[in-house]
Amino acid sequence: MANVLWLQGGACSGNTMSFLNAEEPTVVDLVTDFGINILWHPSLGLEIGDQVTQLLNDIVQGKIQCDILVYEGSIIKGAHGTGTMNFFCDRPMKDWVKELSEVASYVVAIGDCATWGGIPAVEPNPSESTGMQFLRKDKGGFLGADYVSKGGLPVINIPGCPAHPDWITQILVAISTGRIGDVLIDEYHRPKTFFTDFTQTGCTNVVNFANKIDGGFGKRGNGCLFYEVGCRGPMTRSSCNRILWNRQSSKTRANHPCLGCTEPGFPHHQLVKGSIFKTMHYLGFLPKEVPDGNSKLGYYMRAGFEKTISVVENVFGNEPVSHQSSK
Amino acid sequence: MGIQKELNISPVGRVEGDLDVKVYMEGGVVTRAHAQASMFRGFEKIMEGKDPQAGLIVTPRICGICGGSHLYCASSALDTVWKTTLPPNALLLRAIGQATETIQSIPRWFYAIFATDLANKKFANKPLYPEVVRRFAAYVGTSFQKGVVASGRPVEVYAIFGGQWPHSSYMVPGGVMCAPTLKDITRAHAIMNQFRKDWLETLWLGCSLERYLRIQTWEDLMEWVDENESQHNSDLGLFIRASLEFGLHKFGQGVGKFIAFGTYLSKDHYQHPTIEGRNKALISRSGFFDGKNYSEFDQMNIKEHVKHTWFETVPAAHPWDEPLPTPMESQNLAGTDFSGKYTWSKAPRYNNMAAEAGPFARVLMNANPDNLLPHQIYDPLFGDIYDKMGPNVFTRTLARVHEAVRTYENINKWLSEIDLNGEFYIKPEERDGKGFGATEAARGALAHWIEIENGVIKNYQVMAPTTWNIGPNDDSGNPGPIETALEGTEIEDVNDPVEVGMVARSFDSCMVCTVHAHDQKSGKELARFKL
Repeated sequence: MANVLWLQGGACSGNTMSFLNAEEPTVVDLVTDFGINILWHPSLGLEIGDQVTQLLNDIVQGKIQCDILVYEGSIIKGAHGTGTMNFFCDRPMKDWVKELSEVASYVVAIGDCATWGGIPAVEPNPSESTGMQFLRKDKGGFLGADYVSKGGLPVINIPGCPAHPDWITQILVAISTGRIGDVLIDEYHRPKTFFTDFTQTGCTNVVNFANKIDGGFGKRGNGCLFYEVGCRGPMTRSSCNRILWNRQSSKTRANHPCLGCTEPGFPHHQLVKGSIFKTMHYLGFLPKEVPDGNSKLGYYMRAGFEKTISVVENVFGNEPVSHQSSK
Repeated sequence: MGIQKELNISPVGRVEGDLDVKVYMEGGVVTRAHAQASMFRGFEKIMEGKDPQAGLIVTPRICGICGGSHLYCASSALDTVWKTTLPPNALLLRAIGQATETIQSIPRWFYAIFATDLANKKFANKPLYPEVVRRFAAYVGTSFQKGVVASGRPVEVYAIFGGQWPHSSYMVPGGVMCAPTLKDITRAHAIMNQFRKDWLETLWLGCSLERYLRIQTWEDLMEWVDENESQHNSDLGLFIRASLEFGLHKFGQGVGKFIAFGTYLSKDHYQHPTIEGRNKALISRSGFFDGKNYSEFDQMNIKEHVKHTWFETVPAAHPWDEPLPTPMESQNLAGTDFSGKYTWSKAPRYNNMAAEAGPFARVLMNANPDNLLPHQIYDPLFGDIYDKMGPNVFTRTLARVHEAVRTYENINKWLSEIDLNGEFYIKPEERDGKGFGATEAARGALAHWIEIENGVIKNYQVMAPTTWNIGPNDDSGNPGPIETALEGTEIEDVNDPVEVGMVARSFDSCMVCTVHAHDQKSGKELARFKL
């Protein structure tokens, strides 16, 4: 049994929408079978107005136990550190969050805005947004680098834009069933169980990646999106391609470059010209960022060798294997 | 003389984002209302100086519920600047994305957000109340879980083509990223079929789609409700009967003017995207309806007013001519002076008129018999309903759920029209210029305006349906649609003014709505809204 309070700050509700897609367990299963008691949620809560303010005050004063504070959206500090760009129940949302995080057993940040600031925090960051305990890659964020909740953990970060529903439901269930001790977190406070392998693990294009075969938009299944259209699958940690989205697919399986949204710093390169759906290059052809676990020089030499081999094969008439795929 | 009250509800809940509504009451009737959007992120400012395609990633994240709709606009706006060529397949797959997002939202919104209000104790003395509670009560209602789970199905189809929902960016200038195969099409058909069998025909309608589509008038609809047990007792049948019994058709009238940008660009009529050619290429029509007459939609007639917005005051201007907003100091509701600036929302006006955006506006445009093209939807039902009942909480909600059947049929039709031998993407040439992209999000008219200069975004303006509906007074002091719709609303119990929340939720504003009611004479807050 766990009391969950879910609040949204500088949010789009995308993580809530993702959460509502959950299966095994569904959101309703969580409530009816897994002991999750939703104290309040902006889209699903039945209380309105003063009742919500009263509830928040009761939690802050310790009259009602909040086992899990789920926070979606950035912490808005604008204007000039006042938080007045995001009022909630008559007060800046950030002031509620500060007080609630002192009494909650566990604090779970859901989505990139809550974990590291996300899109609202892109320069010039008009709302002075930050994540709960990180701003992009820098530890600290709103609650400070040293923050731990009453349960003894820092903010548990479930990144993604949005987070996959399984990542959300499984962490809520782990806490409510007393198994949070089995959840290990990495340097960015992400549960390792979801964020150790790369997004590329399980990508249907992984052979084309190895063979340095370029892909592109509107082409059927025979090219990797890393080389030209900016896929970040090789340097992004997530289980997207193993558990799939909406039970069907994933970005890279649908020929959509991975945007790297589970890594701090999304959107990467702060949306500068040439960074959207284009691989940023050195010297016009070398990828600026190389797959994790590679030195740049080593990667360039290996990749260059493999590319050269395929050019040589073409020149000397070695018929390359046909890559035509079925429609 | 009646008791004067003011009500403060903060937050109203079950709408997305943050919205406060302050109502002044006299004798149990709302005399004046102000809507306050209380959260600012500055997405348009963030896009300034960025990659021209930044909108494809950034704008879906404005709203996680309407992300696919923002993507439809962002890609369309770039199409008009870059003068792309769109293969028919790309137009079909974009329309399928928009339609699956919209049809997803129908059961999700109805059960999770709207219908739980019908289970409010305010209606406890009504004969249908026990049945309404049994079916629609949050989490435990017999239809609640089935409806919420069914709502996840259509976006599985979105995920087949876009990789995931929410927050894909698969629509790009020149087409779409994916190149589906036969197995994708077959699976998509099968998922939609399952949606029909699990929810649409069985739980929702209690009849076949064909039977439902024969409804052309209000009388036809009433006949349909009483035709047999199955329709009478379906969730739609119950919703209609309960709405009329509970009096949902008696409040929340609004400004009586309607705007729709239209959506679903026909595969055969928009291969060379232009702003001028857009209206004729639409399958679900655009238009403006002033309560009597229809007129053709022209995006040049739109201006945004910011006199009452927490942005630096500038003259009302068309989005291409608007500066990116400079935020000003904001206040909480108690500290707000409503004669000055009082919200983060701008006030869009069409030919200087406030207009309601949303499904009701959309189905009205589809009831317009004039200048109809063969590929466009014609559905007279809501022309008739408008004449007989006008806009109100009931008809606004009915319009939203009415679209489920036609949207379902269109998704299947478009899936079957995809040519697996055809192209899905034609790489465009990047260039500078001005663009416009628009659609109908589930909750109404949505548009993006872009200007690209020296290869980066110079100006990006987003106008959401919620902006139309919850916007504040304009420069001349005319209120926005929700502000107007609340005026005259009778509050049965000032300690439980559920009517106010229902009016706000009937517009499906993408804001957590907070209602505050105040005394008409003194302006003093007299009561706090509790539900």
